[in-house]
Amino acid sequence: MGEAIVITSGKGGVGKTTTTANLGTALALQGKKVCLMDTDIGLRNLDVVLGLENRIIYDLVDVIEGRCKIHQALVKDKRFEDRLYLLPAAQTVDKNAVNPEQMRELVLELKREYDYVLIDCPAGIEQGYKNAIAGADKAIVVTTPEISAVRDADRIIGLLEQEGTIDPPKLIINRIRQHLMNKGDALDINEITTHLSIELLGIIADDESVITSSNKGEPVVMNPDNRAALGYRNIARRILGESVPLMSMDLPKISVFSKIKSIFTK
Amino acid sequence: MTKKQLIFIKGTKEGLVLRLDDQCSYAELLDELAKKVSDEGFEGQAEVLLHLGYRYCNDEQMKEIISCVQQTEHLRVSKIQSEVMTVEDCNRRLLENQSETYVGIVRSGQVITALGDLVVIGDVNPNGRVVAGGNIFVLGRLKGIAHAGSTGNKEAVIAASWLEATHLIIDSVVETMTDELTVLSEKPEMECAYLHTNGSIAIDRLQDLRLLRPNLSTFKGGS
Repeated sequence: MGEAIVITSGKGGVGKTTTTANLGTALALQGKKVCLMDTDIGLRNLDVVLGLENRIIYDLVDVIEGRCKIHQALVKDKRFEDRLYLLPAAQTVDKNAVNPEQMRELVLELKREYDYVLIDCPAGIEQGYKNAIAGADKAIVVTTPEISAVRDADRIIGLLEQEGTIDPPKLIINRIRQHLMNKGDALDINEITTHLSIELLGIIADDESVITSSNKGEPVVMNPDNRAALGYRNIARRILGESVPLMSMDLPKISVFSKIKSIFTK
Repeated sequence: MTKKQLIFIKGTKEGLVLRLDDQCSYAELLDELAKKVSDEGFEGQAEVLLHLGYRYCNDEQMKEIISCVQQTEHLRVSKIQSEVMTVEDCNRRLLENQSETYVGIVRSGQVITALGDLVVIGDVNPNGRVVAGGNIFVLGRLKGIAHAGSTGNKEAVIAASWLEATHLIIDSVVETMTDELTVLSEKPEMECAYLHTNGSIAIDRLQDLRLLRPNLSTFKGGS
């Protein structure tokens, strides 16, 4: 029996979908069997980020309403042999098309076959959120170093803590810009974790290649040299139970000598 | 056999005291009361203190008794005294006087309510709300909204290890903690808020609470 982890944030646009895609990919790279589940019914895009948009035939609502079997709706990511699957959300109906009880059953069925079921939660705290968390055993809250995102994360953590069936949520701080933090213009990691006072699962540096790779349909985590990718890989290892120290966010220092050298070599 | 007197009238400095018998039937009492009130030659205006003894009267009966006494324009009921109360009332009063403890963080959107005093062990985050009929004590950072004395207690105080609330409410006085507010200190450590005699909310060091609200301490004596 695998475990279901919901990835949520409250606020939109902080990187839930990107995080789901990258963590799923990282876990598959580690040899685990992973199913990604998009619960953002009506506004799906996990399929786009993974580059699987064209292969969707059936979706989550088709499965719940009995129009197809689960395995018919699951889209296989061929880059990972038999280890990464996506259950896409429906695009033509809205979030009220399913209820938490149906989601719980669906997740339970997926957990029997997969090591990890990652559930991508929609923004907000309404029906879509309630559906997404219904079957989850664990929760990951994604936030960015912005006050608005941290406030919403606080609200979502409060709601998650009231669910008796979910373990205490863990935190990912996304889009960290070290130079802003160093100048004191953005909230720093310490401030955020003491404010929210939940366990920090990992931090992800802000990197442009996250956007470019998402646009290409290749999760950034597949590129092992990237800073953001390293962050996601570390988080995947922590999910698997390894203890990995928090990565340093500082960019490699350029020495005075190499600076001078670079002027002449231009 | 002489009939037992059911109503005793006594004059005091504050006015008349009507002591009603608590063993006879209610109808009998009401009858006698109506007779007594109309018989006696009352003059002028008198304040009446009703003493019900060990008789329990519900609100309806209470009203009936009061209107019965106030039939004559000479009498006005100012106070009712009774030796009994219902279990419900008693429990409510107990709750109002006890302190409830919440352990954990009051997060955005959460509301914690207590009838009496409220002790929060943990932070109150922005947009989190703590409401108490009595005082509020926060062992942590109070960064949200605190409402003390919500049932009309002007003596209630809000104390926190770190008082940086967005809104402080005592009784029905609201104070928004904006930057312009001078009472807000740079380092709001170990502070308390209370209703000043001028009607607005004031903030002082926690150490001053002993002088500001001497009744807050329930300990007597000590060495």
